[in-house]
Amino acid sequence: MASIIAALKQASYAYPHTDRFALKDISLDIHQGEFLGLIGPTGAGKTTFCLALNGIVPQFYGGRFFGHVTVAGLDTLDHPISALARHVGVVFEDPETQLVAHSVENEIAFALENLKIPREEMLPRISRALEAVRLEGTEKRHPQELSGGQKQRLAIAAALALRPDLLILDEPTSQLDPVGAQEVFATVRELNRTLGIAVVMTGHAAEELAEYADRVALLVGGKLVKVGPPDAVYGDVAQLETCDVRPPQVARTFYLINRLRGAESPVPVRLAEGMRRLREGPAIEIAGCYAKCVETHSDTSASLLSVKDLHHVYPDGTRALRGISLDIRAGEYVLIVGQNGAGKSSLVKHFLKLLTPTEGCVQVDGRDMREWTVGALARRIGYVAQNPDHQIFNATVWDEVAFALKNRGWRKAEVEGRVIETLSALNLLDARDRHPLALPRGDRARVVIAAVLALHPDVLIFDEPTTGQDYRGARAILDITRDLHRQGKTIIVITHHLHLMPDYAERVLVMGAGVLLLDAPIRQAYHAVDVLRSTYLTPPQAVLLAQALGNDVPLLTPEEVAACVTDKNVKRET
Amino acid sequence: MLTLQTVTRASFFTRLDFRPKLVLMAVLTLTAFLWESVALNGALALGVILAALAAGVSGRYIRRVLGLMAPFYVILLLTQGFWAGDMLRARTGQTVLTPLLTLPAHWWLIGGGQMSLEGVLYALNLIAKTLTMTLVIPLGVFTTDANAMIVGLVKARIPYKLAFIFSSTLRFFPLLFAEAQTILEAQRLRGLAFEDLGLLKRVSLYAKIAVPLILNALVKAQTLEIVLLSRAFSGSPERTYLHESRLAAWDYALLVSSALFFIAVLVAYFGWGLGRMGGPLANF
Amino acid sequence: MNTSRQSEDLPQSELPAGEEREVRRLDRVAIDGAPIAYVLVLAAVVAALAFIPIPISVVIGSGKNFPMSQSIYPLVGWLLGPVAGAVADGIGALVGVIVAPHTTTSAPATVLGAVLGGFAAGAMTVKERRAWWWAPLAGVFVIFYGLYAGRAVFINGAAARDVLLGSFINWSALLLFVLPTRVWFARLLAERDLKRIGIGLFGGTWIVAGLSHLATGTIVYAILNWASEYWLVFAPVAPLEHLVRCLVGAIIGTGAIAGLRATGLIKPTYAAY
Repeated sequence: MASIIAALKQASYAYPHTDRFALKDISLDIHQGEFLGLIGPTGAGKTTFCLALNGIVPQFYGGRFFGHVTVAGLDTLDHPISALARHVGVVFEDPETQLVAHSVENEIAFALENLKIPREEMLPRISRALEAVRLEGTEKRHPQELSGGQKQRLAIAAALALRPDLLILDEPTSQLDPVGAQEVFATVRELNRTLGIAVVMTGHAAEELAEYADRVALLVGGKLVKVGPPDAVYGDVAQLETCDVRPPQVARTFYLINRLRGAESPVPVRLAEGMRRLREGPAIEIAGCYAKCVETHSDTSASLLSVKDLHHVYPDGTRALRGISLDIRAGEYVLIVGQNGAGKSSLVKHFLKLLTPTEGCVQVDGRDMREWTVGALARRIGYVAQNPDHQIFNATVWDEVAFALKNRGWRKAEVEGRVIETLSALNLLDARDRHPLALPRGDRARVVIAAVLALHPDVLIFDEPTTGQDYRGARAILDITRDLHRQGKTIIVITHHLHLMPDYAERVLVMGAGVLLLDAPIRQAYHAVDVLRSTYLTPPQAVLLAQALGNDVPLLTPEEVAACVTDKNVKRET
Repeated sequence: MLTLQTVTRASFFTRLDFRPKLVLMAVLTLTAFLWESVALNGALALGVILAALAAGVSGRYIRRVLGLMAPFYVILLLTQGFWAGDMLRARTGQTVLTPLLTLPAHWWLIGGGQMSLEGVLYALNLIAKTLTMTLVIPLGVFTTDANAMIVGLVKARIPYKLAFIFSSTLRFFPLLFAEAQTILEAQRLRGLAFEDLGLLKRVSLYAKIAVPLILNALVKAQTLEIVLLSRAFSGSPERTYLHESRLAAWDYALLVSSALFFIAVLVAYFGWGLGRMGGPLANF
Repeated sequence: MNTSRQSEDLPQSELPAGEEREVRRLDRVAIDGAPIAYVLVLAAVVAALAFIPIPISVVIGSGKNFPMSQSIYPLVGWLLGPVAGAVADGIGALVGVIVAPHTTTSAPATVLGAVLGGFAAGAMTVKERRAWWWAPLAGVFVIFYGLYAGRAVFINGAAARDVLLGSFINWSALLLFVLPTRVWFARLLAERDLKRIGIGLFGGTWIVAGLSHLATGTIVYAILNWASEYWLVFAPVAPLEHLVRCLVGAIIGTGAIAGLRATGLIKPTYAAY
């Protein structure tokens, strides 16, 4: 067994002014060279756990601490944070906030300078750190010039330069697009394997953690509920779902298959294994299994949003859109996907008149954009931006929702009626007098949706609504979009989280490098795997599993795959 | 991106240490402040423009600055051209000014106003003066890499904490500016008909965009504190630096010549009145 | 270092299994009681708002259109305290002028105005051992006013009445700073009612932004020596512009203080809200 790098012994911690324990009776050893995944719902204590490993909990926050945490033999309460920083590198969620210098090399040097490492020693450490994260040659560049994934890799390099025994990554990919996330996972895995650095990574990326981690620890309500190899933790789908943690889709698929069959065979948690199991299993007659999902849309209603040969070139010369043409009809639920820089936001901004076409035309209700004012358009098309905190201007939930109505000169009674109606619809009436910022993030997102909905727009655009939300939070927001869709609203969602969308979206626009690569019903789009990959998107595991069954099975979800597989088997048995 | 426009070309100025550049900037600013002569200030402004060009500041940038300052210069020319009389008489004792232009007497309110040569020359002096004060910044700052600036500040005995705040402000403000634009967009998209609102209402709605900006910044500050601590930051000046800041022969040469130049300016100003209003160069 | 080992105990059943440890709290990296990270993000906000002009063109007051940053100099002082407020305002303004030098007539004047603005705001609200800080500061501003108006009347030959009318926002601010009104406005900032906070912010901003304008104006006037008629042009325009500046300051400040109270972020030692 490798030596122990960090050890928690009956560690418990409560933040100041609260009697709730953020960590409770945690005992766990982390070994040299180990990759430990730390999972759990929002509020489980994952970040507190990470910060306890470098002494910030409790030395920075104060509060009450019980038990012991040692890292590289140093007790985290008896040694200053700066001494612990030599042994523990931390990478945080937000790529922007954690880069403080004006050049890549200075970013890496920052901690070395603080630890008074002589200059001569810094230079080789910087090159080695950059080499390790494959950022050689960027020494003089400004961190702001790097992509999201590169920024996170730079943060990793900055941590590596200290030659830590333990590298902690707290949700390092949650704000990245799929390309960036892949870069970070690949880098961390390589560091772990080649340099033997122990890694603790938290996050909601179940598929990747199942693939890369040696062990996974499930934290719920500050307690360590389960620790073990990914197969043991992710394989227990029932337990994860009770804890509001999303299992990898492959695990859920086989869990459902087991359930439908009444079997109890071990559940695979990695895609390759799942694919192998399906391929090696009995051949499946697929023809009848999925006739019902090949729907055809023959919508002939008039176009609500119409784009013809749209080009957009930004003042700096970037060609964001190249000849986009499409129509969106009333009552559709449209998903727009593609890597960062694919043109998704640029396209949507044309619907809101925040951008004007360089070439081509955009129409709303058959009227050219030039005939609309931004104000009039905003009453027709509601836009919910990514970060709810950028959209909160008022001191109470009530005022936030009433904000636009009041400024449109509505009478008091009218405003009141509309605000009550909207708050009730979103289950926010009890929070009417609270400050929006005092609410949890998921609720803040609902406040912003309420404020937009109060104008009764016919079209709603949601830009990355699930970023930064855990599984439950993401589903709650998407459920709202479904309700609105059922009420007849037209819904447009931009997201990278493809796995969340099959239960909601009908049509998918796949964009890449300013071009509309594909405009198809969701089943067809999700199975155009090559098109998705060309814009750096990975199809959900259920789609790939379905493809392992045969080329013509446009299944989208673990439920569908499981039903399909078991249907056949059931038939065979009968 | 809104950020410090560091020059891309290496030159004599980019090789200098930041400290002598700070001294040079201070000397040029104080000299421009002191002089009230269009000839001297004109020569100084021209010198600064040429030095900036030689240092790699683009001609396009200087033209842009001139363009942006043009309305202000027009106001200076008009106000001082027509109205500087009392001030010039009070300060120089000159009672008769040379008329350049007289507005027809029947013009409402401004009829009979007279533009004087002395007033126009004084305005030109002000234009040259403010131009020097503006362009010493690109000359000294745009030619210095942000990291070198910080080391230079610390070596110049500026407390490390202040140098660090300066550096971080420079790093983070473009992000906040971009955030302000996003917030502004989000507000416009709430369907507010700005065009139908009164002035005060419009201003107060506009002001509200700063609220989420400030609150988000302070929430981020807490994360930032944790990031800094995790990287062994203690605010202590006892640390090493990746970049060195050593004064070379040219740096000393610039320091000494800046000092000598300023002493000469002071001696000439207070001894012979050179550059003083009504001094040997009279209106020039 | 602070140490804490709280005595109030949880019910025995809820106590963790491990032994309770003595928690030594690290002293935060701070500037006069304000965490350094707060100081730098507010400096960055000031710098960012230096590029966002108020969308009305009252202009002229100080020779240029005024940016939103001028409205928050006082607020920064109230959020961080006098010393840290002065640092944040000063560095924010400095970054603004070095990134866009053409936005000011005199960079040192702009920075000085910001520093003194942040400091004056903090000095309005500090109590106990610092309660006297406002007095020498008032002396400094009296000297500034003397230099400003004195130069206009005695050196440049402007009529005293015109100068008095043209510098209304400055002397009224100085008067309100010296009189007990300083304390009244400061007290309102700590109240619960948002309307009263708004009044405190409006009055406080009138004082602080007026004093900050005085410091900047003294230097700018020493450079530009506006003609006497110019003072008369100022007379109606400057108060209008100042009114807008204060309104903006009150709106931003009310929102920010309400938000800060709701989020429960740690308060710097000399915060006024």
